[in-house]
Amino acid sequence: MANLIVDERDQKFTLYEMLEVEKLCDYERYADFSADMFDMILTEAQKLAVEEIFPTLAESDKQGCRLENGQVHVPECFHRAYKLFCEAGWNCMSFPQERGGQGLPFIMRIAAHDWFVHNFAFVSYPGLGEGAAHLIEVYGNEAQKEKYLPNMLSGQWGGSMCLTEPGAGTDVGNLSTKAVRQSDGTFKLQGTKIFITAGDQDLTENIIHPVLARIEGDPAGTKGISIFLVPKFLVNEDGSLGKRNDFAVAKIEEKMGIHGSATCLINFGDSNDCTAELLGEERQGMKIMFQLMNEARIATGLQGLTSASTAYLHALQYAKDRLQGSSLMEFKNPDAPRVAIIEHPDVRRMLLWMKANVEGMRALMYYTTVCGDKAGCIKDEAEAEKWLGIVEVLTPIVKAYCTDIGFRVTETAMQVYGGYGYCSEYPIEQFLRDEKIASIYEGTNGIQALDLVGRKMGMKKGTYFMNLLGEMNGTVTRYQGNPTLKPLTDDVLQAANILAEMAMFFGSSAKAGKFLIPVGNAYPFLMMMGKIVCAWLLLWQAGIAQEKLVRLCSDKGVDSADADALLALIRENKDAAFYDGKVKTAKYFIKHVLPEVEATAKAIKSEDLSIMEIAQESFTS
Amino acid sequence: MNTVVCLKQVPDTETLIKIAGTGIATDGIKWVISPYDEFAVEEALKMKEKMKAGNVTIVSLGPDRAIESIRTALAMGADTAVHVNDAAYYEKADPFATAAALAAAVKGLEYDAVFLGKQAMDDDSGQVPAMLGELLGIPVVTQVIKIEVADDKSKASVTREVEGGHALLDVSLPAVFSAQKGLNEPRYASLPGIMKAKKKPVDVKKAADLGVSDGPKTVVKELSLPPARQAGRIIQGDDAKAKAAALAKALHDEVKII
Repeated sequence: MANLIVDERDQKFTLYEMLEVEKLCDYERYADFSADMFDMILTEAQKLAVEEIFPTLAESDKQGCRLENGQVHVPECFHRAYKLFCEAGWNCMSFPQERGGQGLPFIMRIAAHDWFVHNFAFVSYPGLGEGAAHLIEVYGNEAQKEKYLPNMLSGQWGGSMCLTEPGAGTDVGNLSTKAVRQSDGTFKLQGTKIFITAGDQDLTENIIHPVLARIEGDPAGTKGISIFLVPKFLVNEDGSLGKRNDFAVAKIEEKMGIHGSATCLINFGDSNDCTAELLGEERQGMKIMFQLMNEARIATGLQGLTSASTAYLHALQYAKDRLQGSSLMEFKNPDAPRVAIIEHPDVRRMLLWMKANVEGMRALMYYTTVCGDKAGCIKDEAEAEKWLGIVEVLTPIVKAYCTDIGFRVTETAMQVYGGYGYCSEYPIEQFLRDEKIASIYEGTNGIQALDLVGRKMGMKKGTYFMNLLGEMNGTVTRYQGNPTLKPLTDDVLQAANILAEMAMFFGSSAKAGKFLIPVGNAYPFLMMMGKIVCAWLLLWQAGIAQEKLVRLCSDKGVDSADADALLALIRENKDAAFYDGKVKTAKYFIKHVLPEVEATAKAIKSEDLSIMEIAQESFTS
Repeated sequence: MNTVVCLKQVPDTETLIKIAGTGIATDGIKWVISPYDEFAVEEALKMKEKMKAGNVTIVSLGPDRAIESIRTALAMGADTAVHVNDAAYYEKADPFATAAALAAAVKGLEYDAVFLGKQAMDDDSGQVPAMLGELLGIPVVTQVIKIEVADDKSKASVTREVEGGHALLDVSLPAVFSAQKGLNEPRYASLPGIMKAKKKPVDVKKAADLGVSDGPKTVVKELSLPPARQAGRIIQGDDAKAKAAALAKALHDEVKII
């Protein structure tokens, strides 16, 4: 089966030619690895994705999940995929080797999962297990690590994340699940959690649920929240499974998409006997949760990217195959042959818009992740902090920008398919249904925007944000001497200046007491910043590609300024086609998408607050 | 039980093949283990697991790039490898030259069985298994879909695919077995397997190191792509009867098969 999931060449270009991830192996922490090992990992990830994971996508959507006698049954086809996934170790790529993981840099985990996450319903099961295991690995005591980690890392036991309640979603401090202290040091939980992804399944013999709750007597709000481990089956001293813990799945949600993912409502402690262990320290629940949330936000952004990537490659193939209409050049000739729709300008516009967004998002996702990996390796504290600061600033953008643009790319893919795209016989409508949730969960995109504007921009008095601007300017400086790229570097520089100006504008608005300006415009600002960051990263890619293209031309004795000769080379040489495509993609994005930031900046600077001025009564007659 | 698996690196079956002279253009090709050889690797690994002892050695003739496929087989679980890395020899190698190089490499190893695919997915000649058996002086069973080895490793009961049915036979060991689809389901390489593969020994040899001097017995004179498939034709007619008549007429008059 052909690969319509990830453009391999783009992935490798971003990893090696742009971000030089093989240099991570120079650090002691990753000295065991090498570029050829990374290649093998990506090859195997592709193989598993194409042969096993993608084929379960449509089937699991049709079959969905069932709740029978309190037990959730996932789609049948997930069982084999889950076994293969965990046996090969894809569920614990970045866990330390001494704990049974692979100890890989996080970028390899992200790059491998770039192949898997298009089937988010499937990936949610090993993914939630991995997330819960990660919490235990970081915050658990030694006894908890020994008790839970080996079986969780082998995939024998699963996990979840029980946070949301009917009255506490975005406002998590409002939660009412209570924990009652027992004489033996454990707790009994009571309460209801909703929207719990992978809250139950029949893939694993046990499930370890991290649950947020308030110990009786602790203060209201987020400060009084603790986090607990609640296994489905209690684990005996000898490691064997004991009695079924006192909680029950009351229902699974009927949803628009990800039908293979069981979204559970769980009642804890109906018989007053739900045993829970404290994880970490009391009242540290939010802090611990946020550690997971930051990674979960990156992973959710990946859902946006993978949906877009898969949808784009499907639409591209369709546009090359589908014959409809004749060439515009032959509009006077009624007998002109029909052509593939990729020849029509409007279809090309959609395809290039999709390509630019997919590649920009992949660059954003991988860049952010590599910054985190570098921060984890660099001994110099100030430099490590610089990279970690950039991760802080970019995380809400990765989450919100990639999920919203991911949805729009997927929607555009449907447009390329035309009426067939709207029909379930073709895969796009499922991609679209499955992706939508990504802008909502793991902190809605509105919350991400507030996180960016309210917390991240001002961190360390804005130093982290300024460091990011510094990196952008570095790229502009590097390529502004290149005549082909000069018009693009000028535009990116101008956009980076707008970004800096808007940050100052928000700062002075807040100082002047006009805090509704940054708050009300946080989301448009986030999307504007996402475009600017992607334009910068695409420019960086174009710079590398342009230099390589020129070198390739001179190797082949082709004059790169001779358009016909260059086109002839592109037609027969894959590298030339790829590099020239990179330059054209960046040019398109910078010339056609980036100008949108000027409109956003203008709107924000107008200080217009219609959104607040309009009375609730006036929203409808 | 010690086994040897001969594998060939071939273009991925999705590759769009372009002819270049008497060979194919290799730029931009994605290389993989020939799918039938993957069955061979899997069978050797299963046998080792079943017998709970022995080594699986990979032998491959190919240029530098073949190491990627060798490492993949090592990541699946094979123990060691011999890479006959000789681009000049490989470029010209026909099935005989290939079998000669493989046989020379295998001769230096300890083995109870040799596995390989029934044919390589690139040129599909299917001659190497028989030639290899001949050169090693041991029996060959081709198109194997099931193998059971006696506990004392003296013989194997084999099911092979033959036209219209299956043939069951016993063969004394050591022997060469060529794998047919259906023999097993090859495993995926695991991440720990990939990491271990890097440290497993690969013995690199030139054809001359193995004392192989015989060149190819055949010469490729010309290579061409099969003719492009003609577009299908929809038989027209007012009703089923008319369409059936038109179809029968076309089959009789044009295709001349009825």
